[in-house]
Amino acid sequence: MTTPQSQIAAQLHTTKALPVSPTWLNSFVSSTTALQRNVPISALTQTALFRILASDIRDSLHTNNPSALLPADIVDPSVQERRLPGPVPVQVLDIEDIGTSLWSQVEAIERVERGEAIRGREIVRAVNVGGGGGGGEEDEEAEGGGNPGPAASENESHGPHRLIVQDAAGTRAVAVELKRVQGISVAKLAIGAKLVIRNATVARGMILLAPDCMTLLGGKIESMDHAWKEGRKARLLARITEMPGGDQSG
Amino acid sequence: MTRILCVAEKPAIAKAVAQHLSGGAFQTNNITGNRYVKNYSFDFNFGSTWGHCNVTMTSVLGHLTELEFAREYKSWLSCPPGALFEAPVHEAVSSDKTAIARNIQQQARQSQALFIWTDCDREGEHIGTEIRKQAKEGNARILVKRARFSNTERAHVLNAARSLMELDDLQANAVAARIELDLRIGAAFTRLLTLQLKPLSSALEDTIVSYGSCQFPTLGFVVDRYLRVKNFKPETFWGIKVMLQREGIKVNFLWKRVHLFDRAVVTIMLERCLLAKLARVTKVNQKPTSKWRPLPLTTVDLQMMGSRFLRMDSQTIMKVAEALYTKGFISYPRTETDQFDKAIDLKKLVEKQFPDQNWGQYARDLLDGGFRTPRAGRHNDQAHPPIHPVCWVSPSALSADEKKVYEFVVRRFLACCSEDAKGQSTEIEIEYGNETFHAKGLLVLERNYLDVYVYDKWESSQQLPNFQLGEQFEPTEAKIFDGKTTAPNYLTEPELIALMDANGIGTDATMAEHIAKIKDRHYVAVNTRGGGRNAVKELIPTQLGIALVEGYDNVFAGMPNNPSLSKPFLRKEMETRMREICAGSRVRQEVVQESLDMYREYFVHTNRRISALKDAIRKYLPN
Repeated sequence: MTTPQSQIAAQLHTTKALPVSPTWLNSFVSSTTALQRNVPISALTQTALFRILASDIRDSLHTNNPSALLPADIVDPSVQERRLPGPVPVQVLDIEDIGTSLWSQVEAIERVERGEAIRGREIVRAVNVGGGGGGGEEDEEAEGGGNPGPAASENESHGPHRLIVQDAAGTRAVAVELKRVQGISVAKLAIGAKLVIRNATVARGMILLAPDCMTLLGGKIESMDHAWKEGRKARLLARITEMPGGDQSG
Repeated sequence: MTRILCVAEKPAIAKAVAQHLSGGAFQTNNITGNRYVKNYSFDFNFGSTWGHCNVTMTSVLGHLTELEFAREYKSWLSCPPGALFEAPVHEAVSSDKTAIARNIQQQARQSQALFIWTDCDREGEHIGTEIRKQAKEGNARILVKRARFSNTERAHVLNAARSLMELDDLQANAVAARIELDLRIGAAFTRLLTLQLKPLSSALEDTIVSYGSCQFPTLGFVVDRYLRVKNFKPETFWGIKVMLQREGIKVNFLWKRVHLFDRAVVTIMLERCLLAKLARVTKVNQKPTSKWRPLPLTTVDLQMMGSRFLRMDSQTIMKVAEALYTKGFISYPRTETDQFDKAIDLKKLVEKQFPDQNWGQYARDLLDGGFRTPRAGRHNDQAHPPIHPVCWVSPSALSADEKKVYEFVVRRFLACCSEDAKGQSTEIEIEYGNETFHAKGLLVLERNYLDVYVYDKWESSQQLPNFQLGEQFEPTEAKIFDGKTTAPNYLTEPELIALMDANGIGTDATMAEHIAKIKDRHYVAVNTRGGGRNAVKELIPTQLGIALVEGYDNVFAGMPNNPSLSKPFLRKEMETRMREICAGSRVRQEVVQESLDMYREYFVHTNRRISALKDAIRKYLPN
């Protein structure tokens, strides 16, 4: 007889390629069924997925299938090219726009701090400023998917992006957006967001990302994301001063 | 015979109009008390309603009246500056204009009607109401009409004289609202700043620390750019360059990503190109292309292009253009319109340029079949056509500056009436490894308007060899290059005008004045970068200019909606309200009250946090 646990695990494995940790699943099922009975499995699976996307995958996914993990020596730069069949679920620890200079990213952050946005030559007052601190999420929602609104283009990072990702076992690797992937941008991709990599190329230790070798599941780890956003400007500034010759002004 | 009084905005216009209406036969009389204003009398037939009339044509010298505070508020220490938001104000004839006002009253007494010939813009409409007021004081029953004209060319003036209209009180009200707001807000902030800041530094001893609601955002733009330049940090970037030698030509392919700021990533990308060995041609695009002739000329464009190509500042350009207009050589130079009315006979205007040594032949060629109807822009102020030459003038009759501006206006006009420049562009795109590169070529086939519009550049590039779609080749060379980001340049005057225009600071008529004002007040200085033909004039804020902007930003720091007076937002709202008055959707009193309430709030805030301004002054202007 199949338990709800095994049904959920099977569904998440086949539809999302997520190997859920039995321990995590047990505690999830016991906590929810205790509250709600007769909830259909499909709805319960949705809830589980939602929780996983908000969790740290080192807790929520299991690690006994090596093909769902990054090779331990993945960062080895002496390997010119290797294949990563996967599917490997990972979570994002850092994102950076390497198509834009650090300084212009700082300037953009400062404009937002002043409540301004730029539309062509026009400086416009950005809406929804002065509300809660740090929360840019509402603005994104308002801008909706894909409409090239004026403020959106300013807040959109151009890319390509360089990510640091981590698998369920805690192995980290650098991933580069070789071809534009919808949903990867500094404003849209939260820290802790999950993606599943399959059939990707790893060159000199970097995973090369393209739409056909990854699925973006989304989500975020709230505490990490918050800290990352709070500290972003300071990190950019620190990197600028670290640059060779960066301390000479002018 | 009916007696008519005509009043223009300036003596030169009065004379030009008198000349055309009278056919040259007029009598000139001096008026007592003013050397510049003359009365010209002659007969003229105004047509249907008015018929043959006896006319006196005179003028004012700009605004007749001034808005001022009641006597007890005039001295700087008479009241707390904040009281100026409510202090009673009244309109009075300026002391140096009383003779002119008296002349209008006297002339009105003997006249049945007053025809107003002020310039057709918002200010002109307001000056018209000032003239009307004086005329009614002389003759309460005088009829009032307005002539609508945009240049002083004969046929145009005669036509305006025979199709009179009403004064537009809405526009006049908008100006009145602006005058009151500028007076109250300007005086209150200027007194506050001057009284509070002056004692802090000996450098401020002989100055007035003025505030103007346009002046400050204008200064804000200059300071903003200055700080961006000053704070800039250069960074290294890397890119990939691909070159192919074919048919004796070195074809350089540019990377679609231009450059990236991560060396390791670029290195890997290059390695993957080299691993792939062969590049494949994915796009061969050969298509006709054109460079569009310019749009009809507006004031903002004249100022921007003028300061870029003629090396004159915007205020000088406007003065010169004004003189050319007054003399009847070009149309009214204050206009937002970038589309020609269908009714205007452009070919006739082109024909007038035939006698010119430099572009006469070009004008002739236009009428021999090269003529094209100008492109139409999206702006129409419903008052004036785009700036265009009205007649040809011999260069010997013009000063050096006038010659430059006139030439620009003519060349621009002829360019508008010409065919676009035509060419053929070739674009080759290749895929190499995971990367995309492209090369572009341009062949100019017909220069057309470029022949007369010498300010635009469009030249053929190196020609590309043949490529076939889908063909593969091994590039001769593929390598990494590096470079450094560079700081933006200091703001130039054309850029500043563009920023003011985009942000609604001032009108096309007043922008040049605001820029001149912040120079006069020593808030910004002009610096020349480079030399010779490439010299560029840059605007750099003084220590005082920086101190004021930083001080104000600190005063307003942390307030919702960032209302700092160095930002364009407040002023922009005010300009929008002025336009609403003109459109009739808001009334003057309501707008004045609302704007005053808003600024009063910021005034109170500034007063409360004046220490932030004082700190900034102390920081930048050590005693």
